[in-house]
Amino acid sequence: MANNGDSVLEMYLYETNSLLGQLDDIMLAAEQADTLSQEDVNEIFRIMHTLKGSAAMMEFEPLMTLAHRIEDLFYLIREETMSAIPEDDKPKLFNLLFKFIDYFRAQIENIELGKPLSNDIDNFVSIINTVIDKINGADAEKDESKQEAASASQSNAVNGYPYSLNIYLDEGCGMENLRAFMIVNDVKQCCSDFVTEPEDIDDTSVAPSIAKDGFKLHFSTVADRENAAKIIEPMGFVRNFEEVDNLSAAQNTETNQVEQTVNNEPVVKKEQAQPEVKEKPKETKQAPIVRAEKPKAQPAKENNSTQGHQIKQSLISVNLSKLDQLMAVVGEIVITEAMVTASPDLKGIEGVKLDNFNKSARQLRKLTDELQDISMSLRMVPVSGTFQKMRRIVRDMGQKLGKRARLTIVGEDTEIDKTIVDAISDPIMHIVRNSMDHGIEPDEKMRIAAGKNPEGEIILSAQNTGSEVIIKIEDDGGGVDSDAVLAKAIRQGLANPDVEYSKREILNFLMMPGFSTNTEVTEFSGRGVGMDVVKKNVEAVSGVVIMTSEFGKGSCTTLKIPLTTAIMDGMEVSVGDSIFTIPIQNIRQSFKATDEDIIHDAMKGEMICKMDNFYPVLRLHERYGLMPRAEKTEDGIFVWVETSEDSYCLFVDELLGEQQVVIKPLPSYLNTFGIKESGIVGCTILGDGNISLILDVSNLISSDSGYAMF
Amino acid sequence: MSDENLMFATEEQQAIYNKQQEVEEFATRKYLTFRTDNLLFGIEAEIVMEIITNYSATYVPMVPSYVRGIINLRGQIIPLLDMRQKLSIEPMDTDCIIVIDVEDIRIGILVDAVSQIIDIPIDTILPVPQHNAQKYVSGMCTMPDNSGTMLVLDCPLLLAN
Repeated sequence: MANNGDSVLEMYLYETNSLLGQLDDIMLAAEQADTLSQEDVNEIFRIMHTLKGSAAMMEFEPLMTLAHRIEDLFYLIREETMSAIPEDDKPKLFNLLFKFIDYFRAQIENIELGKPLSNDIDNFVSIINTVIDKINGADAEKDESKQEAASASQSNAVNGYPYSLNIYLDEGCGMENLRAFMIVNDVKQCCSDFVTEPEDIDDTSVAPSIAKDGFKLHFSTVADRENAAKIIEPMGFVRNFEEVDNLSAAQNTETNQVEQTVNNEPVVKKEQAQPEVKEKPKETKQAPIVRAEKPKAQPAKENNSTQGHQIKQSLISVNLSKLDQLMAVVGEIVITEAMVTASPDLKGIEGVKLDNFNKSARQLRKLTDELQDISMSLRMVPVSGTFQKMRRIVRDMGQKLGKRARLTIVGEDTEIDKTIVDAISDPIMHIVRNSMDHGIEPDEKMRIAAGKNPEGEIILSAQNTGSEVIIKIEDDGGGVDSDAVLAKAIRQGLANPDVEYSKREILNFLMMPGFSTNTEVTEFSGRGVGMDVVKKNVEAVSGVVIMTSEFGKGSCTTLKIPLTTAIMDGMEVSVGDSIFTIPIQNIRQSFKATDEDIIHDAMKGEMICKMDNFYPVLRLHERYGLMPRAEKTEDGIFVWVETSEDSYCLFVDELLGEQQVVIKPLPSYLNTFGIKESGIVGCTILGDGNISLILDVSNLISSDSGYAMF
Repeated sequence: MSDENLMFATEEQQAIYNKQQEVEEFATRKYLTFRTDNLLFGIEAEIVMEIITNYSATYVPMVPSYVRGIINLRGQIIPLLDMRQKLSIEPMDTDCIIVIDVEDIRIGILVDAVSQIIDIPIDTILPVPQHNAQKYVSGMCTMPDNSGTMLVLDCPLLLAN
C-alpha cells in the first residue's frame, strides 16, 4: 500500500464516514426505541474512541476534542446504563448526538474539499458538558463516587500504610466532616499509626466529598485495621465500610464485597496475603472497585464489547475507475471470445474434427461468463445506505415541521450499480422532503378527518426487475391538487390556458424548473428547484420520473432507471439484411403463427391471442421500413416481449441465436435524430465484426415519433 | 549561418524576419479535396482522421436517408453520411469514406473519390455569393493549377440538422 499522506487521508475519510453512518443508524434505531441498549452504548463508545483516535492521528484538533467529550459522556452512560438519564433528557441526548454527527460530517466534508476546519466547537463542548453535568447531577451518588472511588483507590497505596479502611457515612446524616473526625478520634484511642484521606478531615470543605465517597483510613498493619474496624462497626452513622488491602486487592476485593453487603455485619478479616514487604510496587494496586451495593459485572461487559468488535468486515475499498477499467477489459474479452469461437476460418475446414477445440471453447465461455458476473457484481451496492439516510431526513423534518411520519422501507437489499445509487441519492432526498413538506398534512386532525392514521407514512421501495431499477416513493398525504397546479402553471406562463391537459401532463408541470406551489420560500422548499433536480439527475442516468397522485389520498413518485449493464444477454434476430438484438430479459416466448391466428381491429392493428390474452403485434420491418425476407406470417417468427409496462409480440424474420453482447452507445450524431425514442438504445459488435442494433422494447411500441422515412 | 547572423541582427531586422516566417506559416492551409458527382470539395486536412475503403455500413432505421448507417472502425462505432444524398444527388455505389472529427464528433463521409491534399493560400478563398449560396459551403476558390473551382466544405454546418 502506498504510504503517502493522501492515501492515509483517504483511509481516514472513508473510515470516518462509515463510522458516522454506523452511528447514524444506531441513533435512529435508538430513538425509535427511545433508549440505548447497553450494546448500543458500547458501540457508540467504541466509535467515539476510534473517531477520537483517528482524528488525533490526523491532527484534526477540534474533531478530536469533540469526539473525546462525547466519549466521556458515553463513558458515564456506559457505566450507569441509560437509566441514568432522566426521561425528559433523552430527546436532548439524541438531538445532541445527531447534531454531533452533522457537525462531524460537515467537517469531514470540509476536509474532503481541502477547506480549513472550523475551530468553533466551544458551543458544542459546553452543550455536552451540561449533559454530562446533568447525568452527574441526577446520578451523582452513583457515578461520581464510582469515579472518585477509582481515583481514590490510587491514593490507597500510601507508602507504608497498605491496609486501608474505606468508610461511608449514612446518607444525609449531615456534618460529615465532623463525624469523620469523631471516627478518626475514636480510632486513635486504639492505635495511632495511621493516616487519613483526605488529610484534613475536619475541614468543612471536604464534607461533601466525604458524604459522597466516604473517607479512608490507611493502616500499617492488619491488626491495627481490625481493631479500628471493631470500633467503627457499632457507630450509628456509619453506613458501610470495607477493608481494602492494597497488596492483594485483586484477590480480596471479591470476598470483601460479599462480606460487606450487609451493613454492620461483623467483619472478620482473613487476610490471605500476609504483608511481607511493606512497599509493594504500585503495579499491584488494581483499581479496587469496592462499593458493596454495586457489584458490577465489569468483566462481563468487557467480554461483550470485545465480542462485538470481533465481527470485522472483510472489505476493501477500490477506486471506481479501476473497476471501470476492469469492466472495459472484460467487455473486450467477451467480444474476443465470441470472435475466436465463431471465427469464420473455422467454417472453411469442415470435415476436420474440432472436438478438443469445441471443448475448450465451451470451457472458455463458461469462464468468461463467470468473470463477467463477478466483475459486474463488484459495482453493485445495496440501496440500503441511501434509504437509511432518508430516515434521518424524515425524522429531522418531522420534528421541525411538527408532523408525525414514519418511513417504511421495502427492498433495501436491492443491489444496483454504484453510479445509479449516487445519481438517485439526491432525487430521493428531494422527493422525500417534498412528501414531508407538501404531502403529509400539517395537522393530525386533518388526517383523522380524512380517515387516515394520524401518523403519516412514507414508503420507500426499490425493486430490480432485471432490466431496470424501480424506485418508488409513496406517501399517504394530501396528494396533489391538479387544478391548483394547472392554475399556477398558467399563471407562470408554463401552460396554455386553452389547452386541455391530462392529469399526467399537469403533474409534469411540477417537474419544470422554477415551478413551486409554495408561495413562500421556506427552509425546505419553495424555490422550485427540487423536482427539476430530480428530473435532471434521473435523466442523466437515462431514467424516467413518473408522478401519480390522487388528491386527498397521497402521491407516488416512481423513478425508473435502466440497468446500465455494459454486457447483457441478447437474442439476435434478423429482419431483411439487418440484425437486431433483443435483451433476453424482455423475451417471454417465441412462437410461430399463421395468418389465421392474427386478429385485426378497426384501426388496421393486429393482435394475437396468447394465454387467453390479446397482445398487439408489431412487425419490425413495417416499423423500421425494412425489406423483410419473410413476407408471409408463417415464414417469420413472433417474439413475445414484455416490459414492466407493455407486452406485445414482435414479428421478425428469424432467430439467429442467443449471444452475450457488449453494449456500445450509439454515436451522438445519430441521437440528434431521436433514434432513442424510436426504440434503439445502442449497438453492439458481433463476433464477425458486424454491428447489431439493440432494441429498447418499451420505446419501440410506445413511440410513434422518430424520423419517419416513408 | 542565418541564425548566426540573427544573433547580431537589429530588432528591426528581426521583426522583418519573423514577419516573413509568419507569412509563410499562416498564409496557406492544407485542404483535402474530393469529388462528389461533378463537384470538387475541400475539407481542412486538420480534421481529417483517415480515409478508408471497403467498409460496409450497417443500416440504421428511423434516420434521414443521407445517414447510410454505422460502421465498425476498429471497435469504434462511426456514423456514415452519404455526401450525394446530403446534397440531394442521386445515390451511387461508392466506398470511399473520409473519417473526420468535428468538435469531438467522429463521422464518416461517403464520397465518390478522394483527389489530393493541396496548400491553398487563405486569401484566395472567397466568400460564396449570397444569392446562389451552396448548402454547407463556407467559401470557394480556384485551384492553383486552374483545374477547377474548389468548394470549401463547412463541416459543422454539414453535421448540424
